[in-house]
Amino acid sequence: MTAIEIRDLAKSFGSVKAVDGVSFTVEAGSVTGYLGPNGAGKTTTLRSLLGLVTPDSGEALVDGRRYVTLPQPVSEVGAVLEATSFHPGRTALDHLRILCVAAGLPDQRAGEALEMVGLADVAGKRVGGFSLGMRQRLALSSALLGRPKIFILDEPANGLDPAGIEWLRGFLRHLAHDQGAAVLVSSHVLAEVEQTVDNVVIIAKGRLVRQGTLAELTTNGDTAIRVRATNAAELAPALEAAGAAVERVEDGLLRVRGIGAEAVGQIALDRRVVLTEVTQERSDLQKVFLELTGER
Amino acid sequence: MIGLVKAELRKLFTTRLWWIMLIVMVVLVGVNLAFIIAFAGVSQNGGPALPKRDTMEWAQVAWSVGSSGGIFVMILGVVMITSEYRYQTVTGTFLTTPRRERVIAAKLITGLLIGLLFALVILVFEAATVVPTVLLSGGEFSLAETRIPQVSIGILASLALYGLFGIGLGALVRNQIAGIVGAVVWAYVIESIFTAIPALHSVGKWLPGGAAQSLMSIDIDTGLGRPEWLPAWGGALVLVAYGLLFAVVASATTVRRDIT
Ligand SMILES: Nc1ncnc2c1ncn2[C@@H]1O[C@H](COP(=O)(O)OP(=O)(O)OP(=O)(O)O)[C@@H](O)[C@H]1O
Ligand SMILES: [Mg+2]
Repeated sequence: MTAIEIRDLAKSFGSVKAVDGVSFTVEAGSVTGYLGPNGAGKTTTLRSLLGLVTPDSGEALVDGRRYVTLPQPVSEVGAVLEATSFHPGRTALDHLRILCVAAGLPDQRAGEALEMVGLADVAGKRVGGFSLGMRQRLALSSALLGRPKIFILDEPANGLDPAGIEWLRGFLRHLAHDQGAAVLVSSHVLAEVEQTVDNVVIIAKGRLVRQGTLAELTTNGDTAIRVRATNAAELAPALEAAGAAVERVEDGLLRVRGIGAEAVGQIALDRRVVLTEVTQERSDLQKVFLELTGER
Repeated sequence: MIGLVKAELRKLFTTRLWWIMLIVMVVLVGVNLAFIIAFAGVSQNGGPALPKRDTMEWAQVAWSVGSSGGIFVMILGVVMITSEYRYQTVTGTFLTTPRRERVIAAKLITGLLIGLLFALVILVFEAATVVPTVLLSGGEFSLAETRIPQVSIGILASLALYGLFGIGLGALVRNQIAGIVGAVVWAYVIESIFTAIPALHSVGKWLPGGAAQSLMSIDIDTGLGRPEWLPAWGGALVLVAYGLLFAVVASATTVRRDIT
């Protein structure tokens, strides 16, 4: 089911085309990474989706409707936008209780949501004394208040420590894969989302440059195999004879293209060469990303 | 809408500013009262003086001091809107309630309620100081002989409407410092020029401060000539018109803007 649909979205700020004709969809039960370098237009897209920014043209729909027309937005969409959007003099619990009463949710959801993000023991502390990571968790807890099925998160890993990032990854996967939620998460740090996302949408300078599953983007046909062998000099000609393109990287290390790992193993067995390493090289998302967004 | 008003009240009562404002307001009203108590019956340069402490006229003048609390309610109103922009909580507010005019309506209602609350505090404070002063000075206190009930209603109405005024101003400027400076300049410079100088009364009586004065209909010569206010009902209408104007300004300026 299509939970989020962006169609031909465009928005300019003065002469800057922040978003320029972007279209993509996010399905329920999946995590979609929305990637692009700084200033690519990610935040503008997400804010248009949430009715905070009025697009110049095109549509941004959640559950087939514009966000501003949802009768109970907090119960349908959970959003995290900025880590800093709290009044420093207010406690975490008070912050959430304000949202609860405005959304018509029972007050006890505030405590429950804090529990879910691990902030229960600082519920009564003023947000002014929170670290960036704690604010980020608080922002996430506000997205959980109404138990929504659609999540829209703008750089949620900002300020989290490695343990926090690990926790966030698990949490997002849990929301999508176990609870069937649709998760759209933006980032410019690919390592953060690489292990979390099912689908990837890449934009640069306001335009969509690539969209697909993570696997489609990272395994682009021509991948190499790293082969380390005690007698590489003898193995190389044999591999070439079998039709492979062999690059002699250094003494004992080869990069082999054109044949599979199994064939490499078979040839080595036939020649009685001891293999010490056989690795399928995966072009990682970072490289694909830099190539696609022209940042290299 | 009740939920949204409750949310606005929670926003106010979960931060410290409201009680700081309340205390400062009571202190200011107290200082003003102290002067009026001290200078009761003293004539200045042979001109007309304040009435004597034991008279009902004096009690009435003292009572009207309460309207000076308006500035504090106005500043609170300004802050209720501008702090949302300053701390970016407006994002969360509009995510929770994407129909922005409902947020504005809730804030305006809350501004009115806070004005009424502050006015009630002033009235209790005045009752606790003015009544004993009259009695201790040997006078007799009888409400029926004064316009104190009318003055009280004037204070309630004007503080409530200053709450609205503050919200409207805050929505218009959105910058907290500019909003507060604007409120202070308005109350202490513009309003006082137009209401203190008789020649400008023809304009001053149409300003919120002047309209609030007419609700109280204090007919005391301050030495600069007798002020000519609108009739009480006219003052009330003017104040309501201001309230509506600000509601429209507040929603027209806030409803459309992009929040980035
Ligand atoms: N309010 C605004 N006024 C003017 N220009 C803006 C505004 N908001 C965004 N822009 C411009 O629009 C473009 C896209 O900005 P956006 O914030 O959407 O990028 P982003 O992908 O979220 O970047 P980042 O990774 O740095 O968060 C940028 O060139 C930015 O300067
Ligand atoms: Mg951004």
